[in-house]
Amino acid sequence: MSAVIRLDAVLHEAVATPYCDLVTRPAGAAVRNRVLAVLRDTADDAAQLDFSAVGLMDYSCADEVVAKLLVAMLDGVAPRLILRGVRDHHADAINHALARYDLVVVALLVDLPRPSLLGSPPDDWRDAFDALVSLGRAAAGSVADALAWPLPRTTAALEGLARGRCVVAYPDSTFALGAVA
Amino acid sequence: MTRVVPVPAHLDHLSVDQLAAALGPWPPEERILVDAHATEWSSPAGFVALLTLAQALAEAGAPTPELTLPAIDNVASYWAKVGVIRHAERLFQMHGRIPRRKVEETSDILLPVTIIRNATDVMDVVGGLTEHATQILTHQLELESSVVGGFGQSLSEACQNIVEHAGTAGWVAVHVYVYQRRLGGRKVAVIAVSDAGIGFRRSLEATQGKRYGERWGDAQAIETALIHGASRFRDPGRGQGLSGIKRYLARWDGKISIRSGTARVAIVPPWDDEPPRMEGLPFFPGSQVTIVIPGKEPSA
Repeated sequence: MSAVIRLDAVLHEAVATPYCDLVTRPAGAAVRNRVLAVLRDTADDAAQLDFSAVGLMDYSCADEVVAKLLVAMLDGVAPRLILRGVRDHHADAINHALARYDLVVVALLVDLPRPSLLGSPPDDWRDAFDALVSLGRAAAGSVADALAWPLPRTTAALEGLARGRCVVAYPDSTFALGAVA
Repeated sequence: MTRVVPVPAHLDHLSVDQLAAALGPWPPEERILVDAHATEWSSPAGFVALLTLAQALAEAGAPTPELTLPAIDNVASYWAKVGVIRHAERLFQMHGRIPRRKVEETSDILLPVTIIRNATDVMDVVGGLTEHATQILTHQLELESSVVGGFGQSLSEACQNIVEHAGTAGWVAVHVYVYQRRLGGRKVAVIAVSDAGIGFRRSLEATQGKRYGERWGDAQAIETALIHGASRFRDPGRGQGLSGIKRYLARWDGKISIRSGTARVAIVPPWDDEPPRMEGLPFFPGSQVTIVIPGKEPSA
């Protein structure tokens, strides 16, 4: 199961503003704290942060809302986080913010039909992720075949993605996108 | 005694230096009369700098400065339209006929002169960027929606610098111009932000000053923030604002110029010839940021 958290709604709960823009650090920190409270209470194994009705998001808010949220969730106790409804300029700010922490997150961009990685992942992570998007749930061997890579290289990339909570690693040694798919 | 500080005929982010030179030692001991009677034109950077000067004088405990408005009626009227007079009336003792024209958005004024005191003001500025402003950026400057998004992000970050670092209020204004000489008639959007705060050097001194030793000064402080993304906060997520603006401007051939204290540092695109680093300028209080985003190049 995957909870959906509408960021525009959280913004209006957290800050008295008539606008739907995620701007300024204080507003971003207030939104992050609300989202964290929701995530820590949810029984779902994944959550989708919905940007669909968010207007502008500046670089500071990308840091406060997305990067610092991911840092706070690295303990693995909270559910996996997926972004959706992300527009180009949101993605630009998020990429910029995540690069400072070497963080990566899965996102559904408004203008792209396939899930993407935001942040600055190693190239191998990106290629392995794209292969998994095409294949669906698959073992490392299948991904290695699709990419024409040696198995250790493929396994390292998939395990890195799983550690970064961008894919789900199953006990039967398969990997999948989980709630995004 | 009163010291007369003439405002240049064309007041922009560069000719603010002439204004600063006429101030003499800071803080001035005499009452200051800012004389704009011969001023014919001002950029948004000029407008916000004038207000900054008055605010800095007030904060330095100097007598309330005086302001002589432009003698040419339509120039003074324009000053009212861009919103500078409504703020100046609180900060200056005014001379000259004060035009009572309503502040308005037009095809060249995306954001009238607006005060920034806190994060709520920043949210209002960004959220209040109207459909009208977006239409101008999209249709007159022919910017794609992603470029317009970056414009809003840059505006927000530039304003937040006041709230985060200045320790006092500041002003922002956004206008659209035609750059005839430099860009062959292309339109540009200009964001001007100015505050009367502590400036880049003092803001960064505690965390960055020792690293540079004797080289530490206004120019080094601006470069440290603008070029190296340094912040006075130790949080790794800080310093994103200016570095985000810089990245956005690099992609769209834009320009940023920052003046603080006695220095000005700019990231200069090929179409402009502003010196990238100027030191030893006459002191002007606070910090002034000017961002220029060119419209789309006309297709051949």
